Amino acid sequence: MILSLRESAKDGVLVRAVVTTSLRLFVGYGVALALGIPLGVALAKQRLVKQTAGPLIIGLSSIPSICWLPLSLLWFGLSETAIAVVVVLGSLLPIAVATENAVRLVPPQIERAALTMGARRLRLLLSVTLPAAFPGILGGAKLGWTFALRSLMAGELLFVSGGLGQLLETGRDLGDTALVVGVMVVILVLGRLAESLVFERLDRVVVRVWGVAT
Amino acid sequence: MSSFAKPISGVHRTSVDRPLRLVTGRAGTSVSLDNVELSFADRRGEQRILESTSLDIRAGEFVCLLGPSGCGKSTMLNLIAGLLAPTKGKLLANGRPIVAPSPKRAMVFQDAALFPWLTLRSNIEYPLRLQSIDQGEREARSEELLRLVHLFRFADHYPHELSGGMRQRGAIARALATDPEILLMDEPFAALDAQTREILHAEVERIHTLFRKTFVFVTHNVREAVRLADRIVLMGTRPGRVLREVEIALPRPRPANDLRMSEIANDIANIIASEVEKVAREEADDAWLAPANSVRVGSHRHLGGSI
Ligand SMILES: Nc1ncnc2c1ncn2[C@@H]1O[C@H](COP(=O)(O)OP(=O)(O)OP(=O)(O)O)[C@@H](O)[C@H]1O
Ligand SMILES: [Mg+2]
Repeated sequence: MILSLRESAKDGVLVRAVVTTSLRLFVGYGVALALGIPLGVALAKQRLVKQTAGPLIIGLSSIPSICWLPLSLLWFGLSETAIAVVVVLGSLLPIAVATENAVRLVPPQIERAALTMGARRLRLLLSVTLPAAFPGILGGAKLGWTFALRSLMAGELLFVSGGLGQLLETGRDLGDTALVVGVMVVILVLGRLAESLVFERLDRVVVRVWGVAT
Repeated sequence: MSSFAKPISGVHRTSVDRPLRLVTGRAGTSVSLDNVELSFADRRGEQRILESTSLDIRAGEFVCLLGPSGCGKSTMLNLIAGLLAPTKGKLLANGRPIVAPSPKRAMVFQDAALFPWLTLRSNIEYPLRLQSIDQGEREARSEELLRLVHLFRFADHYPHELSGGMRQRGAIARALATDPEILLMDEPFAALDAQTREILHAEVERIHTLFRKTFVFVTHNVREAVRLADRIVLMGTRPGRVLREVEIALPRPRPANDLRMSEIANDIANIIASEVEKVAREEADDAWLAPANSVRVGSHRHLGGSI
């Protein structure tokens, strides 16, 4: 296994695959956060958005995100955009739904207190509502991360070139079990790394500051 | 009580270079409600929450709103805060219409509502930040307030690291940060044990004496109202309305176990009981209301019984 990995590493295939996958993950997940959190806030705060987009979102979230891949390929061709769409759709909805719930669960007292102190609109949202909802949003972000990783792997395995998913496929084509297992270990390490570098740290902050576990 | 002299001298010492406004209370009316009425629309139609109410609160006065659960005490406080708009009538603060919440009318809630992600110090500085007050002054002011409520040692604690009583003191300090004219307190000590509550009563009384701000304090505890108020506004329920007003002319500072306080509390409990009976008798004509009445009388009895 180590040997197979070392071979792949030597001709740079492994490094390139790791970089490609990581980039796709970061971009897709980043876009999902950037869209999902505002969407969740809007769902919680704007009745009109809830009434129009709410049922749609619940409906869409019951479609496994990889099912979007064929459509995405038709629209965007065999491109980075196609895979990004799948990753974004995979992690956006859990993030939005968790954000919506977290914002809804902010004790009204907290926002009222801020209102009486003179906080309004965007200031209120950024300095009070979002921090108050942060532990819940973090929960959604974690969920979103695992969904992003799954969607991306499925996408890479199925269609898209480059990345660890495709390296897995290559391993299978070559009958190279060691390579397949090796790549799986690399994927595991990537996932764990993100967990321990980002989410576990944020979890500790939440425990220390908010005094609650996510 | 032994802590009485200390903080006052503390404020005097620091008040030279950065004065807290010591006297806000001017002669005159601080808050006035003129035929204020509030209804909510729900599935069953219009629900009258607060029947037409008129009330004048003098500047520097300590008013307690006393009444059973659901009589609209919080609603009235939210109206004064500007968090709710009345269905009918006018509300004025210092002669100006109340149209929105304002830092001039600070609010303290039952469960502190301190921001859990900010340290106590940052909580107190938050309203100052909103007013773009520079860092030096913010720090000076939060230090002064932390000392005022005896929490300076806990400045860098997060709310969850404080006891319930400390959180309420912190919330009071934060409410004072913007030097409001009016302090609105919604059952701020309801969740505390008797000892802690007693200590906080003394603190609130001291702060009231010190700054002469107008206080509107909501409670369903008769003793607490008598302990703190210059005037008690007795409220009844369904729909919420003012039953009667009682002036409490006891001198301050009031010792926690003053016998005269118990007597007044008894009198007020009797007033409540007779008002309840009166209302019950009036409404008992209507057979359909009878079951609801019995529940209501029960809750009032509980109010009196919990003294
Ligand atoms: N947003 C709302 N919509 C409809 N009814 C409401 C709303 N807010 C409060 N009420 C009703 O108004 C009445 C008065 O409520 P309020 O919270 O002012 O009572 P309260 O005197 O503060 O009671 P408590 O002592 O339990 O805090 C209650 O019957 C409540 O059900
Ligand atoms: Mg209330």
